[in-house]
Amino acid sequence: MSPSLTGTGHGAASRGGGGPPARAVPHWRRGLRPYLLIVPALLLTGGILYPFGLGLYYTVFDFAASKPQPDMVGPENYRRIFTESSFWESARVTVLYAVGAAAVETVLGVGVALLLHGSTRVGRVLEKILILPLMIAPVIAAIMWKLMLQPSVGVINHLLEPFGMGGVQWTDTPAGALLSSIAVDVWIYTPFVAILALAGLRSLPASPFEAAAVDGAGWWFTFRKLTLPMLWPYVLVAVIFRFMDSLKVFDIIYALTEGGPGDSTVVLQIRAYLEAIRFQRYSFGISYMIVLWAVVYLVTMVLVRYLGKVQNRAAEVPK
Amino acid sequence: MSPAISLRGIRKSYGRNTALDGLDLDVGEGEFFCLLGPSGAGKTTTLKTVAGLEEPQSGTVSLDGADMTGVEPYDRGVAMCFESYALYPHRSAYDNLASPLRSPRHRLPAAEAHERIGAVADLLGIGALLDRPVGRLSNGQRQRVALGRVLVRPARAFLLDEPLSHLDAKLRQAMRAELKAIGAVRRTTTLYVTHDSVEALALGDRIGVIREGRIVQTGTREEIWHQPYDTFVARSFGRPRINLLPGTVTGHGTFLSADRFFEIPLSPPAVRSAAPGTPVQIGVRPRDLSLGPGPVELTGTVYITEVLGRATEVTVRLGGSTCRWSRRARTPPGCGPTLR
Amino acid sequence: MKRRLLAVAADGALILYFVFALFPVAWMIILSLKPANELFSTYFSFTPTLDAYRTVLGAGSDEGVPFLRFFVNSLVVSLGAVGLSLVIGLPAAYAAARWRFRGSENLMFTLLSFRFAPELTVIIPLFVLYQKLGLFDSYVGMVWVLQLVTLPLIVWIMRSYFSDLSPELEQAALLDGYTRKQAFFKVALPLVGPGIAAVSLLAFIFAWNNFVFPLVLTSSEAQTVTVGALSFLGGDRPKYNLTAAAALVSVVPPLLLALTIQRYLVRGLSFGAVKS
Repeated sequence: MSPSLTGTGHGAASRGGGGPPARAVPHWRRGLRPYLLIVPALLLTGGILYPFGLGLYYTVFDFAASKPQPDMVGPENYRRIFTESSFWESARVTVLYAVGAAAVETVLGVGVALLLHGSTRVGRVLEKILILPLMIAPVIAAIMWKLMLQPSVGVINHLLEPFGMGGVQWTDTPAGALLSSIAVDVWIYTPFVAILALAGLRSLPASPFEAAAVDGAGWWFTFRKLTLPMLWPYVLVAVIFRFMDSLKVFDIIYALTEGGPGDSTVVLQIRAYLEAIRFQRYSFGISYMIVLWAVVYLVTMVLVRYLGKVQNRAAEVPK
Repeated sequence: MSPAISLRGIRKSYGRNTALDGLDLDVGEGEFFCLLGPSGAGKTTTLKTVAGLEEPQSGTVSLDGADMTGVEPYDRGVAMCFESYALYPHRSAYDNLASPLRSPRHRLPAAEAHERIGAVADLLGIGALLDRPVGRLSNGQRQRVALGRVLVRPARAFLLDEPLSHLDAKLRQAMRAELKAIGAVRRTTTLYVTHDSVEALALGDRIGVIREGRIVQTGTREEIWHQPYDTFVARSFGRPRINLLPGTVTGHGTFLSADRFFEIPLSPPAVRSAAPGTPVQIGVRPRDLSLGPGPVELTGTVYITEVLGRATEVTVRLGGSTCRWSRRARTPPGCGPTLR
Repeated sequence: MKRRLLAVAADGALILYFVFALFPVAWMIILSLKPANELFSTYFSFTPTLDAYRTVLGAGSDEGVPFLRFFVNSLVVSLGAVGLSLVIGLPAAYAAARWRFRGSENLMFTLLSFRFAPELTVIIPLFVLYQKLGLFDSYVGMVWVLQLVTLPLIVWIMRSYFSDLSPELEQAALLDGYTRKQAFFKVALPLVGPGIAAVSLLAFIFAWNNFVFPLVLTSSEAQTVTVGALSFLGGDRPKYNLTAAAALVSVVPPLLLALTIQRYLVRGLSFGAVKS
């Protein structure tokens, strides 16, 4: 044993290191600590919730630029929304858009992730640029596609011409406009699904796959019985994000079609924008948004609960 | 004089789980106290409560007689070695050891700190590793850095949470022997947590056995060994485990096994504590049995024989129960023969 | 042989996807390099020129679109939004990670609901409110509303980083003689440093890429690149080369930042739901 330590040890006089006598902090002050830390965030959150509350309040009035002294109208705005065919048309388009985009992105994204996971040299290079579309502002992406999809001078039709398919009126037909918008959404967000799915694939335990290989299981069997169930929690996170975000799509449609031709791609957020900002019928526009918000909120609750179940089940899978 | 560390009626629960259930504990000035218990018994929570890292729902912690309720950990002047090491992963071993000596409470001039760190590092055999980031140390090395971080600083008490558990067997044995010889440890009140009864017996001036958030028994190693409070404490010490044989106390001061296979005389104090006919268990440590004639004789059949190097463990059937017997014999009895 | 063929087919499919993913960007580069007179007459063969970039970035260009100013605006409001969110969000994230209490659970949930709320729900009332408060078309107004984007991201991701950090490290610091504040700044904060950097960059990217806030809440003074890029498409003669140049210029900052935080993207994009 080193004698030096015994020599330089601290005698009874310096026990506890000296210093000031112990001070007791009252219980209530210790309990307050976490609250003090979140107070600024709570205030800021309040600063965002306030306009939301204000908006909710506006919906029972007929506030508009043409009517700066609004009257209370009760649930009139909501009644009008649910009885107008344009709302149901917007709702239909929104759901079509969200389901279509989320479905294609999921399949394509998981596919790309599987290919990247299995690939060796090519995949490693391509993986580095996978995020590129995702980091481009959606509105910029839509502008880029708008230039390319231009019927007469756009490059897409030019490239299709040799195949006898030139002159497609991409965004000038109702169906074409919707499909084009979904295509832009797919272009931007497929990497999102792919990145999350790839992270999932990389975190899967190896032993079940080794066991399956030893048992001589085929590729399809392994994929369906092992990969997919274990990957599902990861993919589901991506699907939830994509579906929820597509329900409130705005940027892409605003830049690509402006809701046209006619009203064919007027999704709910575009409708609210037109009502509130273009036509300056504030109360009516906000009412639209409150309805969309309620729907998004409910769907989120359901999906997040489902996600919780799936994650629990996945955690139970013996690894 | 008030005890250095005193816990009274400590209750701590996390949601529905009760970690400490009215725990009382006293550690005397300069004492080396070992707290022994299975995992989940509340050992770490006890240490953290003393350190002020956990706040009990009720009960009081006093250090040197002063009530510590509401006193911040840095004002309590205790040092703790965490089982998880809790080393700062972004710093070198040296900086980890220097951390307390750079803090406002225990600041030392750099040169003096350097000297102390060097001494402690040499003591723990990590002098050559000081420049390494802790991420590049083995578990055993990390554990020694964590111990060093406690030893470099002045403290009114050391709280050590399984500080030897991650060392390899040889090093653990060496450190166990050396730990109590370290000057700082010798002088400082130490509360030492372990699940290893050998460690507790070897190190503890006194030992406390904890189970389900309560102290079952405290005492010196002799008290704990010879007069265990209950079967839990009895089973906690000694490998192979103590033999517990069920039976009853007879009217003429003997113990009769449950299957009436054998009967042995009891010492007068043991008889006094139980009325005739009371169902009891008799505890016999495997090491206290021997082969051949003696004051009390039992006859049984050898069931299993395990040769474990230095010792041989023999399991003997005594009617319906089995009894383990440990002996240093070089030639173990074979299976089958009847032993007297 | 069959395996080789499959591998080639897989790589082929991958390359096909990446052609789809990269072609628009490549085409924008081509478009932006075209001289105005060859804009509609050629596709791939032309005399490249940097005129479009000169026009877009020339302050007070003849096009009447002060794009450089929009660029600076984007920079200012995005940095401001991230800075404010960090100062306010880090303590909240830390509190939510270290203490389980009613207030923090409610805060976390509210913030998460911001992430999924349709932006216009808040913006339309703000549009009215800002006009009254004089915050319309101002930096302050934009930094405030961008908290809707940056604050939830920063609080959620940072909580997940703080939660991954063993509280025993800070406890060790307390016993070493440091105060709680010092334990936070000397131990916890440096250890989540990479996380802070990554989430800040990601929040910056999302703030930069936002479109609907500046569209509704700014007109010229505080307008950002995302809205500005659209203005080249207006008028009776759309200037494709300028639009392409503006689009490319506006995607450079987020792309450069994104490349530096690839490793941390998964946790950021999934709001901490998936860790890699």
